[in-house]
Amino acid sequence: MPNSQCAESNEMEVLHQLFSSATYDASAAMCRWTDGLITLTLDEVREIPLEDVCSELDINDELRTMVVLRLRGDIGGEMILTFDEKNGRQLAASLLGQPTSEDSRWNDLEKSALTETGNILGCAYINAITRLIDQELIPSAPYFIQDYGASVLQQALIAQAITCDEVLVCRTGFHREGEELNWRVLFVPTEAMRKAMEATMHFSTGICNR
Amino acid sequence: MTATIVETGSKSVGMGQIVLGRQPGRLTAILGSCVGVTFYHERLQLGVLGHVVLPTSNGQGAKPGKFADIAIPHMLELLKQHGIGPGELDAKITGGACMFGPDGPMQIGDANVKAIVEALKTAEVPIAGKDTGGSTGRRISFDCTTGLLLIDTVGNPSRTL
Repeated sequence: MPNSQCAESNEMEVLHQLFSSATYDASAAMCRWTDGLITLTLDEVREIPLEDVCSELDINDELRTMVVLRLRGDIGGEMILTFDEKNGRQLAASLLGQPTSEDSRWNDLEKSALTETGNILGCAYINAITRLIDQELIPSAPYFIQDYGASVLQQALIAQAITCDEVLVCRTGFHREGEELNWRVLFVPTEAMRKAMEATMHFSTGICNR
Repeated sequence: MTATIVETGSKSVGMGQIVLGRQPGRLTAILGSCVGVTFYHERLQLGVLGHVVLPTSNGQGAKPGKFADIAIPHMLELLKQHGIGPGELDAKITGGACMFGPDGPMQIGDANVKAIVEALKTAEVPIAGKDTGGSTGRRISFDCTTGLLLIDTVGNPSRTL
């Protein structure tokens, strides 16, 4: 393998290690929040050309229910918890101890249940990253939104798009009793966050010396 | 600089891409804070859609469709190769939303729209239709047979420019 490809491969490997640790913590928090029903697994960490990112992640013109958290500052990023309508409704109903709503509009209680889920999940994830890279990260309040998935993802990619033609995205999947759910967490770090992650993991694992 | 032309079916135009289309082709995109810009030549039934992501390139030029200040000249250059000058075209623009509300992060939508309008003014291409801003995403479909731009937003009736 040429040196440049080897370096890229190592970078992705260290990022994968870091996101795996964060996903593990987020999964534990989600498991507690849902009484053991829901767990998370890290699906992929990859760089995708800007023009292909929505199609590659299968985030298109489908209406999605999303909770967005932003990490403020240079070492920041965007986290999007995304559900299809059916799964979002089922989670809200399960958390509220109510039957699944058939109403076309989401009521405040349902929105609050999903927003709080995003908050718990996001904070667990962010706490893990904070600990791993030893940097203070400040999350925004979670923002509930229903729209085309690609429209929301686009805005989350802007910070990386300023300097890069390829964007780094971490994708996490959810499972309920072993069954894969149509939920995702997409995390899009800023360039500065990515560099901080790589530097920390290189230092702690010595992977650059292999 | 050469570009393939979509002449049949429908082609999705991703972030930072510029794609030419001829009737009966159709060009589509999903927009949030990005801006979709179309130019159309009625007699040749030839059009182009640019999916612009950011307002200014600051010297970066690897992907011309990404930045408003270089996307517009690049789109005009593609049409010039088909013998079409800026005076024979009209432009339509849409997108530029603030997806996370007026106080949300990365309020780039307004800046994108302003940069596109400025670039069109510089190029002396008239704006025939404009549907920009707001806080919701847009699904657009550009019909290269008619030059019409269909715009869908969640929870609202479709609009046509």
